[in-house]
Amino acid sequence: MTLNALESLVGINREAAINLLYRLADDELIIGHRNSEWTGHGPILEADIAFSSMAQDEMGHAQAYYQLLHQLGEREPDVLAFGRKPREFRCASLVCLPKGDWGFSVLRQFLYDAAETVRLAALANSSLLPLAQLAGKLRGEEKYHLMHGRTWVLRLGRATDDSHGKMQAALDFAYPHALGLFEPTEYDEPLAQAGISPREDELRRQWESAIAPVLADSGLAVPEGTKPVYGGRVGRHADALKELLDGMQLVYNIDPTAKW
Amino acid sequence: MPDTQWKVFEVFHQQARGEPHVHVGSIHAPDAEMALVLAKEQYCRRQACVNLWVVPAEAIQATSYENDDIFERATDKSYRESWGYKTPKTIHEEGAA
Repeated sequence: MTLNALESLVGINREAAINLLYRLADDELIIGHRNSEWTGHGPILEADIAFSSMAQDEMGHAQAYYQLLHQLGEREPDVLAFGRKPREFRCASLVCLPKGDWGFSVLRQFLYDAAETVRLAALANSSLLPLAQLAGKLRGEEKYHLMHGRTWVLRLGRATDDSHGKMQAALDFAYPHALGLFEPTEYDEPLAQAGISPREDELRRQWESAIAPVLADSGLAVPEGTKPVYGGRVGRHADALKELLDGMQLVYNIDPTAKW
Repeated sequence: MPDTQWKVFEVFHQQARGEPHVHVGSIHAPDAEMALVLAKEQYCRRQACVNLWVVPAEAIQATSYENDDIFERATDKSYRESWGYKTPKTIHEEGAA
């Protein structure tokens, strides 16, 4: 079955697709904002420019997903980004975490963009055609993001004892949150049934196989028996997201009706 | 003060397959692979690009401006200048005309 148009989505499929799009969009918006916090603070000029540029890419991806949501009857993209409360966001905890040091930020980027790469490869074959087309379009930029994250992780993992220690600590800290990217939802089954998206546990398995060789080559050990941090997909977030949104939405909320 | 920057790589950018790689600037990076990763955003975020080269700046041999008189022409050599000739866009187009 192919869903050629968003209008052909009805009932549980429609509800599930809307939920999926919020998860995709909110992850992109929040990681984009977090990574933009390096603008002007990167370790060297070249790294600063590349990271800032990728942060813009992620926000562009978020905008594209919000646009699909708008076509499904949700509010305008700007309102979705700037006019919602923390509990209305469906992002995973990984993207909400403060930017930390450079090692943590590039490690998070690697873990996140590896997940994006796996997800977009699957969504490019989605039965929901507008989503499949968008996923196909975003894959090139995400491929570069992953290349960037991988290149940094491989170097910092093995450069010095100090850098190795910081990267292992960053991985130990980030890993349970990264697993939260694949938090199962009540929509896993309908999405898989309709061929819109694979189940989260299937994507998680693919992600684990994708990151394992890079982490091994970086001399980094995946923490064992990690309990995933869930809750983000149902709107339960730590204070970090509220603090981020307070800053990001500050100007918009002075006058939500202002024309830009 | 010691230079704490990374090595310098010169960056060459290709706009379309078959076009020449053109020097667009330089970049600091610890190695060639990272230089390519960083050069992509530095030099390809605004203009079309299909391929990048990076070359360690230290690998480049250059003439000296002190000797730039070697490029001067002592006698009229305009016969060597090709822009006086009619240059068809492609040989095929010219042949077909």
